[in-house]
Amino acid sequence: MVMLEVEDLVGGYIENEPVLKRFCFSMGKGEFVGVVGPNGSGKSTFLRALTDVLKFWKGKIELKGKDISELSREQIARTISVVPQDTYISFPYSVEEIVLMGRSPYLSRFEYYGKKDLEIARKYMNITRTYRFKDEKINELSGGEMQRVIMARALTQKPELLLMDEATSHLDIGHKKAMMDTVKNLNETRNLNVISVNHNLNLVSRYCEKLLLMDDGKCHAYGTPEEVLTEANIHSVYGIDVEVHRHPMDGNLYISPMDRTIRDKDKGKKVHLVCGGGSSRSLFKKLIEKGYEVTAGVLNVMDSDLAKAEALDINCVNEAPFSPISKSSLQKNLEMIKKADVVVVTDFPIGEGNIRNLEAVRDGITDETDLILVNIDKINERDFTEENMGVELYADISNKMDFKSVDSTEGVAKLL
Amino acid sequence: MNGLTSSIRYGEAMSHPLKKYYRTSLLGFTGLTLLTAVIALSLGSVNVPSRNIIEILLSRLPLVGEYFPSHPGPQSTIILRVRLPRIILGLIAGISLSVSGASMQGVFKNPMASPFILGVSAGGVFGTAVGIFFGVWWLLLPLMAFIFAMGTTFTVFFLGRVRGHTDITTLLLAGLAMNFFMTALTSLILFMSEPEDMLSIVAWTYGSLSGTVWNEVWITLSIALIGSALVYAYARDLNVMQTGETSAKQLGINVEKTKIIQLIAASLLAAVVISFTGVIGFVGLIIPHAARLLVGPDHRRLIPISAMLGGSFLIVCDTISRMSGEIWVGVITGLFGAPFFIYLLIKHRGETGW
Repeated sequence: MVMLEVEDLVGGYIENEPVLKRFCFSMGKGEFVGVVGPNGSGKSTFLRALTDVLKFWKGKIELKGKDISELSREQIARTISVVPQDTYISFPYSVEEIVLMGRSPYLSRFEYYGKKDLEIARKYMNITRTYRFKDEKINELSGGEMQRVIMARALTQKPELLLMDEATSHLDIGHKKAMMDTVKNLNETRNLNVISVNHNLNLVSRYCEKLLLMDDGKCHAYGTPEEVLTEANIHSVYGIDVEVHRHPMDGNLYISPMDRTIRDKDKGKKVHLVCGGGSSRSLFKKLIEKGYEVTAGVLNVMDSDLAKAEALDINCVNEAPFSPISKSSLQKNLEMIKKADVVVVTDFPIGEGNIRNLEAVRDGITDETDLILVNIDKINERDFTEENMGVELYADISNKMDFKSVDSTEGVAKLL
Repeated sequence: MNGLTSSIRYGEAMSHPLKKYYRTSLLGFTGLTLLTAVIALSLGSVNVPSRNIIEILLSRLPLVGEYFPSHPGPQSTIILRVRLPRIILGLIAGISLSVSGASMQGVFKNPMASPFILGVSAGGVFGTAVGIFFGVWWLLLPLMAFIFAMGTTFTVFFLGRVRGHTDITTLLLAGLAMNFFMTALTSLILFMSEPEDMLSIVAWTYGSLSGTVWNEVWITLSIALIGSALVYAYARDLNVMQTGETSAKQLGINVEKTKIIQLIAASLLAAVVISFTGVIGFVGLIIPHAARLLVGPDHRRLIPISAMLGGSFLIVCDTISRMSGEIWVGVITGLFGAPFFIYLLIKHRGETGW
């Protein structure tokens, strides 16, 4: 059953400057969806269009199968409620009075809050732990208390779909977690649909089953946090390099941005990595952070090193999955090695497929090249070729010129 | 510790002393207003005994009237033709201005808003000044005042429309500009006027209830009833709008409609009153504050309490005016209102909003 269906939505605030550009989205019942994306990508505009605060220009929104443009504001308010980022109230209403406003869409013009309304308000004040200060003045509360009151009001509206528009942005980590836990609990126990716009990628990946990544008024990616929060997606939408880790304890994704501290003397210095099999994932990032111009090759498509390199926009020679290195790839790799100021040979497993990488190193390096070999002591353990071709090539390379040797890829970054 | 701070806060929260006893206090204030009116009726330069006053009033009632002596003669004339219409107009003016002020403060979400924020008073003064300057028949002066008051208001209203909705900030600035403009035009007329006309115009800017006739009472009463009913009907919507226009829309409120109804009703209430009485300042600004301190900011309680407080306040001020040789009533409201306002300011200094 579909809760929400958005088709080709176009809309914005200034004529001919749409914020939403043919935006599509669909949400099943009982889902908890996180909406992420850079500032100005249309997240809040989408929520405003959903609640009829913004009149969209083209497209269609269907709420439980009904066209939203045919529903009155009251009807929408009985299905959708919103917790905004912050609320400013200048007059000293009591907490209870504010929460009771959630009953507005159910009351007729001359009706006032009845016993039933009070009971509903009380129930949600208990859930949000605001009942104990129900008689306090709203404008004397702390930010965390205030936001809980607004959450209580949104729930008192008895929505089927709760929209949180950066509702936790101003809260400390304790209040953030408590609020998300409350919502998650209602989502699980009462099938409350939730759409949470949030800039905190770690928080949404922890709580949301699905993430919608918006970019420039369109849906860039929609799926599970694992599918959406990839380094490549984040790079293309936010324009920054990040590392996506999995938390060792709870398995949640967490994202940490990378810093680029460019040292002038290394600026533009070319480093070529001969790698593969995930041997230099962490090295790529560190070298880029230091300001080197990094190249790599030859890597097979589907190699985790390649995925990482592409996410970081590293220029690399690649080859079809599981195929040996072709002549043209060999040639390209050779060119890169010749141009490089530093060549690093990591401790990748050597096989028939990638033995030509070592040949390229042997033929490409010159006296001007700084050569760094990783973990050459244990070369025997990772040479899987017949007749120990890898060991022999290493011997050739090391005879040809001086090199520096390090125990691990971590050492490379320190050396440079 | 947490419990302690929260209990202290809880104590502060009780500073709307009459909120819990709203119904009782509304009854109380209505009684107080009627009592004020009756006392005011017995005060004046000519002494009429209370017993006679009561008999004169009762003799005018249908059915029971014939059982009471009507005291024909000067006593009856003073009570029924001089004091009573004046006191009732004072009551209506106080109610209208206070309800108007409460509505404006609600729409502008600002405790500094007054009934005259959209240019009602400046427009009215200008209209009267034009009328006096060109020697318009004095009976038509209220009409002139009303036309200019509402004309100015609608101009401000029109200027405040931004892409199909009423923008509160633009409205506030447009009101400010039109107030200045109308005041400047009035000054220009004052500059060109004869001294005796000048005095009439200046007097009008301070307001007076003297010489009230019953027709004025009926006109202001009908508008007061309609206007107050409209403001009250959209009181709950006004409450929700205090949490922000977007939030209000998301709570199902028709924000644009509420704003238009409140602004028009509030301007109309003020415009009709000042057309007959001149500009009576301060009532619409401070009475809603006093009411808010007593019963809290919920407009469903705030509006009726404001009305009763405003009614009795203006009767008291006008009685003082009568007893003191017709000092302009706007001067009296200012003399009483401003110190009271400053007292509130000192008492609640540092609080965010009242």
